[in-house]
Amino acid sequence: MNQLNTRPDAAFTDILIVGAGFGGLGMGIQLKRQGHDAFTILERADDVGGTWRDNHYPGVACDVPSHLYSFSFRPNANWSHVFSPGGEIQQYLRDCARDEGLLPHIRFGTTMLDARWNEADRQWSVQTSRGMFTCRVLIACPGHLADEHLTEIEGLSSFAGDIFHSARWKHDVALKGKRIGVVGSGASAIQVVPEMAQLASELVVFQRSAPYIIPRANRRYTEAEKRMFARDPSLMDRLRSELFWTGEYNFAQRRNVPRFVREAKEMALAHLHSQVADPALRAALTPDYEIGCKRVLISNDYFPALTSRNVRLEASALQRVEGNTAISARGERFELDVLVCATGFEATRPPFAKVIHGRDGQSLDAHWDKGMQAFDSIAVHGYPNLFIINGPNTGLGHNSVVYIIEAQVDYILGALAYAEQQQVEVLEADATAEARYMDALDTRAEGTVWLAGGCKSWYVDARSRRLTLVWPDYAYAFREANATFHPGGYLQTQATEAAT
Amino acid sequence: MNHNERDRSADSIFVDGTEVPYHSAGPSEGDSPVLVMVHGSTGSTDSHYGYLFPMLAFRQRVVSIDLQLPTQGGALALEQLVRQVGAVIDRVSGGKPVSLMGYSLGAVVAAAVAAGRPDSVRNLVLVAGWMKTDAHQQLRNGVWRELRAAGSPAIRNYMVFCAFSPGFIAARTPQELAGMAGKITLDGFVDQQMDLNGRIDIVDQVSKIRATTLVVGCTQDQMVPRTHSLQLFGAIDDARYTEIDSGHAVVFERPAELLRLVDTFLRQPSASAAGSIIPTARP
Repeated sequence: MNQLNTRPDAAFTDILIVGAGFGGLGMGIQLKRQGHDAFTILERADDVGGTWRDNHYPGVACDVPSHLYSFSFRPNANWSHVFSPGGEIQQYLRDCARDEGLLPHIRFGTTMLDARWNEADRQWSVQTSRGMFTCRVLIACPGHLADEHLTEIEGLSSFAGDIFHSARWKHDVALKGKRIGVVGSGASAIQVVPEMAQLASELVVFQRSAPYIIPRANRRYTEAEKRMFARDPSLMDRLRSELFWTGEYNFAQRRNVPRFVREAKEMALAHLHSQVADPALRAALTPDYEIGCKRVLISNDYFPALTSRNVRLEASALQRVEGNTAISARGERFELDVLVCATGFEATRPPFAKVIHGRDGQSLDAHWDKGMQAFDSIAVHGYPNLFIINGPNTGLGHNSVVYIIEAQVDYILGALAYAEQQQVEVLEADATAEARYMDALDTRAEGTVWLAGGCKSWYVDARSRRLTLVWPDYAYAFREANATFHPGGYLQTQATEAAT
Repeated sequence: MNHNERDRSADSIFVDGTEVPYHSAGPSEGDSPVLVMVHGSTGSTDSHYGYLFPMLAFRQRVVSIDLQLPTQGGALALEQLVRQVGAVIDRVSGGKPVSLMGYSLGAVVAAAVAAGRPDSVRNLVLVAGWMKTDAHQQLRNGVWRELRAAGSPAIRNYMVFCAFSPGFIAARTPQELAGMAGKITLDGFVDQQMDLNGRIDIVDQVSKIRATTLVVGCTQDQMVPRTHSLQLFGAIDDARYTEIDSGHAVVFERPAELLRLVDTFLRQPSASAAGSIIPTARP
């Protein structure tokens, strides 16, 4: 803890957190609340919020109810809706950072360019866009929806109109009366499309594969309800529990138990039938894989938007662009003024892994050449004193990732407390423990709809066909398995050994 | 093998001349005792344990009985149901002690089984169970019998009204509520179970239970108010107690939360000391 700074040109901080979204802020808040002050948060952008700062496209919202998609230790009585708009989530995170005293700890506009473990110093050296930092413990909070994925499409860069990714929305591009193309039919696309349908003279949606969509049971909270929550905060806890266990119920679908898969599929297809009358459009919107294999989406206005006269569903991928002409895989040609790429995020090969180098100098990305993996979904052999929040096998197809993040924060607090009590300076995941953990994960994942549902998704690594992104069990089981630090799974170096 | 039904199979056994079906699923390897599940009034494996049975089978070996109306006639006796469960235990346990779980009337049956044969039941889970029918229960039971005798169609809505918590009902559409009411089984066996429910008294037996026991009460239960679960908690030596924020129909309202309690308890039955109240998890 009282380590000397061995790099005089670098700013030393005991704990360096990278990222100021739900993960980084949750970690910082709990450190602060426990009286730790020796930490710094690097944030590449100029504001907190992570994916909620980046995604401000028209219609952006979360698919998890707000009273659950928020920190359990910071309930918010003022959520406007059951599913509040993205901007409200972003404001919530801003308030968290300010009210919990995190702002002085955050270095904005500071991108991690290169991080290397120094075996001699037992420190991480982190080169950033604003100078060098050194730290004892590095906590990476990359998130799964951080770096936009751009599909390789022939001629895309030569597109003569305006083009941008949904997570890099250009609000200065006028859209009214324009011919707009939306590439993709995932979670972002189905929120963008209804908004674009109202603005565009013509709108075409390029759909590689149809999503399952279920109704969004959304409504506004009344002023009376908000004051009720404020006056009796225990009611927010009760609501949160109800939302959580309702979400947990749906794991039975992902677990691929026929009765629950059928139940979910019937709900989704009934929704399609009630909103789309045209048999050809229905057919194009009927998925050809099992429900849950890809993310199940929730929307009440996507299907109706597709039935508007100015909207066309192109049931094949965008393949080629020539000037203003977008050409689909089926050879259909569309003249467009604007292209919105709602093509998702780099999930199975996150870019942050390219810049982190472990004990033997290898990048995490190279180390993960068969796909991401980590002991207890948090630590990697060869990468000492590195913890990853919301990294491998931490996503959920059925519940709130904030719950997972809180469990991982608790784990790290446990690790830090253990290291302090036992005078341990270096904790490194043991290779055998990591392999055993991954084998157990493979067993949990066996037969789930993500692996057996017959689709191509970002949950599965294309190189290994292993489920690397999601936790293949109940969320509660993640907390039971991974909210408590397991010292037995780590190689440990005592502080005294380090001093000699 | 249908992997996601975990080798589910159906079998049956004759008890008092009556054929009693039971279902089995889940891995038979491992050290944890087989879990035998007993459903409640108006229920079956598929209705009351439609969620828990297949999902618990991913974690361990489970067997669930479909209680039957004995063919010999006369008023249904608790002992008859106890014999049905005992026979299934004998058939599936391989002579080793089992874990036994009961819900509602099934919890009464399970408690009586555990009391009567302490050597065959190592762990016991009693969900929304009771020891002795009280006046509050008899009042409700009496209204039910009057509606039933009169052939009133209101009986189904009355059962939904009694079984589910106010908040759960309030959040459903009229169509969903009608669907729930329509699914309720009403037959001669249900009449016999309701009759039996009105005259339960296993107070003397419960004190003989030696199993490591988890008692689960439902905070908004209007059919078996949680005070009954608290009384079981007081009466059983090696019992710990916890609650779910739900009506009596917890197997429909909060099945995943109940699954977590059962799963966590069975993995380490004595993790919480005898006599302790396990705080409800706050996600």
